Amino acid sequence: MAEVALRQLLVCCGTGCLANDARAVADALETALQDANLDISVERGSVELKRTGCNGFCERGPIVKIHPDDVSYYRVKPEHAESIVASIGAEPYKPLLFRGDDKQPVTRQVDNPFYAHQTKIALRNIGQIDPLNIDDYLQAGGYLALQKALLMPTDEIIAAVVASGLRGRGGAGFPTGIKWRSANSYPSLPRYVVCNGDEGDPGAFMDRSILEGDPHSVIEGLAIAALAVGAEQGFLYIRDEYGLAVKNVAAALQAAADCGYLGDDICGSGRKLSLEIVRGGGAFVCGESTALMSSIEGYVGEPRAKYIRSVERGLWGQPTVLNNVETLANVPYIITFGGAEYAKVGTAGSKGTKVFSLVGKVKRSGLVEVPMGVTLRSLIYDVGGGIAQDRPFKAIQTGGPSGGCLPESLLDLEVDFESLLEHHAMVGSGGMIVMDDRSCMVEVAHYYVDFLCGESCGKCTPCREGLRHMRDILAGICAGHGQPSDIDELEELAFCLQEAALCALGKTAANPVLSTLRYFREEFEAHLNEQRCPAGVCPSLTVMQVDSEACTACGACFKACPVGAVHQLAAVGAAAAVDEHQAGNDKKADKPRYEVDVMACTACGSCREACRFEAVKAVKKEAVCA
Amino acid sequence: MRLTIDGVACEAEAGEFVKAVAERAGITIPSICHHSALPGLAACRLCLVEATPAGKRTEVVTSCVYPVSEGLQVVTMSERIQRLRRTVLKLLICRAPAAEGRLAEYCQEYGVQNNFTPPDPDEKCILCGLCVKACEELGPAAIATVMRGVDKQIQSAFAEAPTDCIGCSSCAKVCPTGKISCTDDGESRVIWGKRFHLEKCPVCGRPFATSEELAWLTHRQVGESLDLTLCPSCRAQQAAKQSVRG
Ligand SMILES: Cc1cc2nc3c(=O)[nH]c(=O)nc-3n(C[C@H](O)[C@H](O)[C@H](O)COP(=O)(O)O)c2cc1C
Ligand code: SF4
Ligand code: SF4
Ligand code: FES
Repeated sequence: MAEVALRQLLVCCGTGCLANDARAVADALETALQDANLDISVERGSVELKRTGCNGFCERGPIVKIHPDDVSYYRVKPEHAESIVASIGAEPYKPLLFRGDDKQPVTRQVDNPFYAHQTKIALRNIGQIDPLNIDDYLQAGGYLALQKALLMPTDEIIAAVVASGLRGRGGAGFPTGIKWRSANSYPSLPRYVVCNGDEGDPGAFMDRSILEGDPHSVIEGLAIAALAVGAEQGFLYIRDEYGLAVKNVAAALQAAADCGYLGDDICGSGRKLSLEIVRGGGAFVCGESTALMSSIEGYVGEPRAKYIRSVERGLWGQPTVLNNVETLANVPYIITFGGAEYAKVGTAGSKGTKVFSLVGKVKRSGLVEVPMGVTLRSLIYDVGGGIAQDRPFKAIQTGGPSGGCLPESLLDLEVDFESLLEHHAMVGSGGMIVMDDRSCMVEVAHYYVDFLCGESCGKCTPCREGLRHMRDILAGICAGHGQPSDIDELEELAFCLQEAALCALGKTAANPVLSTLRYFREEFEAHLNEQRCPAGVCPSLTVMQVDSEACTACGACFKACPVGAVHQLAAVGAAAAVDEHQAGNDKKADKPRYEVDVMACTACGSCREACRFEAVKAVKKEAVCA
Repeated sequence: MRLTIDGVACEAEAGEFVKAVAERAGITIPSICHHSALPGLAACRLCLVEATPAGKRTEVVTSCVYPVSEGLQVVTMSERIQRLRRTVLKLLICRAPAAEGRLAEYCQEYGVQNNFTPPDPDEKCILCGLCVKACEELGPAAIATVMRGVDKQIQSAFAEAPTDCIGCSSCAKVCPTGKISCTDDGESRVIWGKRFHLEKCPVCGRPFATSEELAWLTHRQVGESLDLTLCPSCRAQQAAKQSVRG
């Protein structure tokens, strides 16, 4: 094994940071390290550069960390390379440190509020190791759990997972140990294990992050699952768009096989396991278990109607365990440290942590791993730093496209599988989208229903036809020609989807509508009864107006309007209209005025976003366009 | 295996589905995408019933593919089921206002009126998928669905004639809405806009299959020992005679 370097320079090369040129940063750092090598004194020791997976704070990427000193740099550019190298083992380079609202520089990652509230189990290695180097994983304790499991009777492996209380992270939250136990109870052979890495929710990227940044933990988890259920063959079903994930997993599979952790004789135990990658079918619905299995079998990725569970008859009619990427990444930890240790974190019914992608109108967004039972408030305000621009909070959409929108009154809700379900939302994919007062909840419902219209497989009537009608009704309400009966109609369609759709996509597809109807009904009613969009979003009902009192004539709105609907008018009458005293103080008087042309305004809200003085207001269209 | 359907005690074999067992007991359950010769698609969702397996919770399920179990209790006509069927029918009739066959009868039976504006008033197809399934099971899988979600369509109904079609008309026979037109004039058959020559039975002289269908069957070696040039009924008679002769 290579000599262990005293210090590590960890460059985040997750997809987010790569998009911000992390590769050039890593190259520049490498060059700078070489150049500086001679100067690095004995005390400062040898330094090794590693390209790691995603640190989750992509918004502030590229991220570079110095270990073990625990210094984190954000928004690094190639030109910072020399300063960073110079700071190794010395004073941190201040301009690249994190600064919160108090503007104080934060050196250590654990002191950064974005990370301070997190507990990393599934993401334990990501950002610390080079995913392409199995030695890194081994040094972090990797494959010890597999070796331990090889010496355990299957009952004991399963018992540990049952004791951990681990529940599926793919959406449904089914207890993982119970799933394994029941697959094991059917005598039929062969049995299969499958990792679900389809991640079709457009806003979520935790599974991608894990597959890219720590593929061995998923492989190890899947191998343990295989031991537990007596499977000798398994599949990793990975979303087709996830090129880097496929590449890293393929490399990891090869490395694991080379080291004897996979193959015909795992660690000399005589046990066999072969794993292969299957590229996803390219649709959200392919992540659904029966659709995924059809797709692996080579058929169209459409859900199948069946009342016999996959643990009894899954792939090719044989007992099959399907688990999500994040679920599996937790498994080695559970085997190593024991189920009871894992169960210390979380709530009564939902143990452990959950990775969420916290996005939308928060000050700090990204991928976060928090204990189950964290409140929405803590997620948004502690981790996320509060609402962007300190605007009022309006709703948080959880669980992906078929999740729900929760209002301010539920901010203290402790997040777990049950609590969200009770409120027409769900943990689902782990998406958390924060919305401020400038989000129209009818429009939000329409957005998700429209997305699902395109993602439904179209096989069964309630989902295919029901979603179409829901979409049309919602579009009508947004456009101001809704009917008084629309809300009843939506509720009837929702009932039919929930009860009568074939698969879970359809059964949950009404959530965006039901949750907004439950918590934001008055917004529907304002659209229906008053042709008014309270959030000032729906273009058929809204125009922007400049409030001349609040306007400082800075012209930001004028520059921001993409359709040229904000007009600059010459200052009228200057001081003439006001008394002398006021004219003296009021610089506004001889500045230009701004006005929105209501006929040209598309209500896109760019001017309103741009104005720092709350001088642009959304008003009811009818009121100005008489 | 014993179960009760609407209070009626029924006997069933393991592996049977509730709808078939109910029908044997004289209880009819509405359905549109079910065909006894084809595997269940469970696409239309009309055959919903409430099922309570012994010791478990009651669930709304599609009886066409719901397997029987010992002690299962089924209710085929509750308030909840009627309400759901009404919505499903409304969605179907709005999609396919011109559908022929039992859809309109069901709508009448359930008092369903279409108060949505149909996207296409002349549409017949309800997208049950039976035609595709039949073609896949019995023939060359010449037709398929295209696109997904609300834009899903039966490909060949909208684009050009399917190249692999052998004119067997299985799709038209299973179609519950009269969407697939198939006309025979004694000499030839037109289906999917494609004309096929009809072969006549050398014994009875009746046209019974297209040349392509016979070629396909021969090629697939379906029933090797059969004389495929005879129509099915003459073939059956001949087989009967042979077995008598021994
Ligand atoms: C429409 C739809 C999409 C889904 N997409 C995914 C997915 O992308 N990844 C995933 O792990 N599970 C997904 N699921 C959930 C899976 O069906 C399944 O429950 C899960 O993979 C089981 O693993 P778990 O028990 O570890 O969560 C989806 C379910 C539905 C209905
Ligand atoms: S519920 Fe939607 S996605 Fe699921 S089978 Fe029905 S049409 Fe397809
Ligand atoms: S054409 Fe007929 S059989 Fe085919 S999907 Fe449409 S209604 Fe069903
Ligand atoms: S007949 Fe059962 S779903 Fe159509």
